[in-house]
Amino acid sequence: MGTLTIGIFSSVIGSMNFDFALKLSETAVNKGHKVNIWFSGNSTCAVKSNQKHMKDYSTGEKPLKALLEKGVEVCTCEACTLARGIQKTDSIEGIQWNAMHWYLAKIHTSDRVLQIGGE
Amino acid sequence: MKLAVFVSDFKSTVDTLERLTAEKLGIILVENGVFHAVIKEKGAHSSLLKKSANFYVLSEDLATRGLSNLNVANNVKVVNYNDVVDLIFNDYEKLAWL
Repeated sequence: MGTLTIGIFSSVIGSMNFDFALKLSETAVNKGHKVNIWFSGNSTCAVKSNQKHMKDYSTGEKPLKALLEKGVEVCTCEACTLARGIQKTDSIEGIQWNAMHWYLAKIHTSDRVLQIGGE
Repeated sequence: MKLAVFVSDFKSTVDTLERLTAEKLGIILVENGVFHAVIKEKGAHSSLLKKSANFYVLSEDLATRGLSNLNVANNVKVVNYNDVVDLIFNDYEKLAWL
């Protein structure tokens, strides 16, 4: 089994990239791999708790919580998140807040890295 | 180097791909990139498919767009998320996203 680290910059609501990253993470962890997810840029909006789940749009909170329960490590860029007005007290429980060195450390110890840019 | 490139867009990635070379190159068509696998213009498939590479297309993203596996070009293998994870860990060493 290996370790996959995914860095994602895309926004959360209705984002194809964001959905892809979460589905790939879920599949990888279900197959026994270790998965790390790094949020930067607009993707940091995904850490906000109490997201409204609309019928026709994918959202991040439910799948993120499911991934956290399966042992996926999720970390958000603290500076990017605060810049978007989201405080730690608003964050989904279990998501880590840190700086770029968290991502670099995960990259260094991962077997595979996928960096997904913004849309 | 064994490189897998995720292509997520239909129009703006071909030029970039043409500059990429690898010992083994895999191109995984996802999101709107799946149109490369099925759309023909003036009877011809996407020029991307002429590149020397192994091509894959994500079945879930075909289905989301109402596209049939039956219309996928012959040199493109239809894969699911499970297959993509196996490709990542077993067939390619480096990953890129376009």
